[in-house]
Amino acid sequence: MNVAPPRPARNWPLLLGTLGFLVGMTWWSGHGIGFSLTELLCNLPGGQRLLQESWPPDFAFLPRLYAPFMETIYIAIIGTVVGGILAIPIAVLAARNLTLGPIVWFADRNFMNILRTLPDLFWAMMFATAVGFGPVAGALALSVFTIAVISKLWSESLEAIDMGMPEAVRAAGGTWLQMIQFGAIPQGLQHYVSYALYAFELNVRASMVLGLVGAGGIGMILETQRANFEYERVTMIILAVLVAVLVIEQISESIRKRLA
Amino acid sequence: MNKNQGSIRFTDASVVYPNGTVGMKDLNLEIRPGEFVVIVGSSGAGKSTLLRAINGLNRMTSGTVEVDGTKVPQKDGRELRVLRKRVGMIFQDFRLVKRLTVMSNVLIGRLAHVPGWRAMFNLWPAHDREVAMKALERVGITEKAWVKAAQLSGGQQQRVGIARALAQEPAIILADEPVASLDPVTTHQIMKDLVRINRELGITTLVNLHFLDLAKQYGQRIIGLRFGELVYDGSAANVTDEDFRDIYGRDFTEDDVLDEDAVGG
Amino acid sequence: MSANPGLLKPQKQIGWATWATFIIAVLFFWSLIAIEFSPGRMIQVPGQIARVLSFFYPADMAYGWSAVLPAIIESIQIAWIGTIIAALLSLPLALFGARTLFPRIARFVKLISATARAFPEILLAIYFVPIVGLGPFAGALAIGISSVGMLTKLGAEVVESIDFGPVEAVEASGGSRILALRYAVVPQVLPEIVAHWLFRFELNIRASAVLGVVGAGGVGGVLLNTLRYRHFEKAAAVLLLTIIVVLIIDMVSGEIRRKIIRG
Repeated sequence: MNVAPPRPARNWPLLLGTLGFLVGMTWWSGHGIGFSLTELLCNLPGGQRLLQESWPPDFAFLPRLYAPFMETIYIAIIGTVVGGILAIPIAVLAARNLTLGPIVWFADRNFMNILRTLPDLFWAMMFATAVGFGPVAGALALSVFTIAVISKLWSESLEAIDMGMPEAVRAAGGTWLQMIQFGAIPQGLQHYVSYALYAFELNVRASMVLGLVGAGGIGMILETQRANFEYERVTMIILAVLVAVLVIEQISESIRKRLA
Repeated sequence: MNKNQGSIRFTDASVVYPNGTVGMKDLNLEIRPGEFVVIVGSSGAGKSTLLRAINGLNRMTSGTVEVDGTKVPQKDGRELRVLRKRVGMIFQDFRLVKRLTVMSNVLIGRLAHVPGWRAMFNLWPAHDREVAMKALERVGITEKAWVKAAQLSGGQQQRVGIARALAQEPAIILADEPVASLDPVTTHQIMKDLVRINRELGITTLVNLHFLDLAKQYGQRIIGLRFGELVYDGSAANVTDEDFRDIYGRDFTEDDVLDEDAVGG
Repeated sequence: MSANPGLLKPQKQIGWATWATFIIAVLFFWSLIAIEFSPGRMIQVPGQIARVLSFFYPADMAYGWSAVLPAIIESIQIAWIGTIIAALLSLPLALFGARTLFPRIARFVKLISATARAFPEILLAIYFVPIVGLGPFAGALAIGISSVGMLTKLGAEVVESIDFGPVEAVEASGGSRILALRYAVVPQVLPEIVAHWLFRFELNIRASAVLGVVGAGGVGGVLLNTLRYRHFEKAAAVLLLTIIVVLIIDMVSGEIRRKIIRG
């Protein structure tokens, strides 16, 4: 007959360690940022007043949003196109199966990861400082941000392609460039388009807030209205942004679905 | 063991699915406590409908099902849960939570027996753990108690499924095609387990089977269904090839039996 | 689309791609003109960037340790609390947002999560700052609310993809719906959902880093000020430390995620 084995001991050090870390980290963080439910509750009346001030949105302000809103879209388009093109070589060199050699691969991969660590607004601040306030700084910032998004995702899908075609091109005497162009990129094209659209969605969203640091677009108006506590206008701007983002996402998503 | 006897009675019971399919038609049937009943019929004949009506997973369109004289409630809620507590079910695809240990899976059979908060926080009384362990003992896989269900073979997983049903200390066990996903050797082991449990514990057992030879070999009483209607009800010892032909509406082929030599045997 | 468009329909494929490229090119150049990014301006840009970059060296690490590191730690704390808030709120929401479990409520939950997702954190922070005051608490709330949307969506997708057999098995044994969630759904989905939490934490580190721009705490405000007053050596310290800390957190979190999914 079978004998019931004893219940295996739990890994108490790991369990307690994890629990302790979670609780400790949360307590330390909550303390560090001054998290307090009482403060939140005490401030709720103030919040209510803010909401009353923010509502209804100032619809008369809407026409003045047109020009900065279009600027936002222009910035997103430029950022996606420039970043999308520059991302191609970076992604190819970061794909283990296509890269030129271990040193190039290692350098490119680290370059890519470092690009990814900095948030979009950091790039915007730096470019705004370098080339001056305005949409050019925003477009440059989004170009870098786009490179980071697309190259990471696309290099991973390039690593998963069928190597038969590229090897055939190489065997037929093709150069490395021809191998990439005719053997690899056609297979990765659908993914590329899909990631580029995804990056465009992110860029539209990001370009709404670039203006907060002076990098052009609708965010610059948002910043001035916010600084003047014109919350009815702030609400108007945010509502417009929300609708635009949702519409663009819907369009982009339907294109992506059709591609898949 | 449970004092409830485990009798089942269908009275003019019918099930029509929303898409118009007839799952059960004017069924009148009585099953006595402790019987081992095998239900046969081609696919779509209403075997599952019959089993799932007994624990209220399928609702009746008309007529009634009673378990030990109590009508099976036709809506979700406490009463239905109380009834299901006494009816264990075994599934073709085992329906285990693969990421949980075997023990946790068997304890699922005790959920209705302990206070909700205890179950919620995984604080099982020692008694319930014991019942679960006994259930595992009965199907002979105690040594796997602390292994994740995903690591077991198909036959072992079905044993856990049986143990989960046994942990309910049920009056009735419903087994819906319990061996359809298993290889022939394991199939016989599982069928033997079911028969043994029925004998040892006197639990009324209803088993849906597709294979005729298995039905004949293991059934006490055989019920044949065709298009939701009862077309055969008799002892397994007396069932003939003729009867099977009636049930299936055609000559049976080697697809209908597990071992080819068993045809006519 | 056919399974292998490249081989089956070469004509059509080329036509489609050409048109798309053409339209994108037109939009691109139109945008360049609209924001007055003239060729003359383009030529200046590399020089301007190089000039500013040259000021970045050497990084002022004394400032880095004394002022930047505490700000980065504050950013991490904001991201952590925001992620905890989002994780706690999104777990029940993800269950109710699963079409396969609660067809009627799911629609409503999905609508809420889509709306929460549409707001960049920084816009939410604009509202929270006047309510709870300038500082990291506002940032944590903004991060939390905006992460709820995404975690609910991803969580609901995980729940929708599970095997529903065990749910019926629990209910057939007399267990209630809640216990079915506890025993048949949660064990199946928890590893994936926790992995999503960790991934969101990685994203939230980046999000919290910029919240300082609207006064919601963290390292973003420090960068903004150092750049505004043209203290480029100090700005360099901000960038350097941010990159290092984020890289380390990404690596550790990524490793834990892989372990959780495997185990």
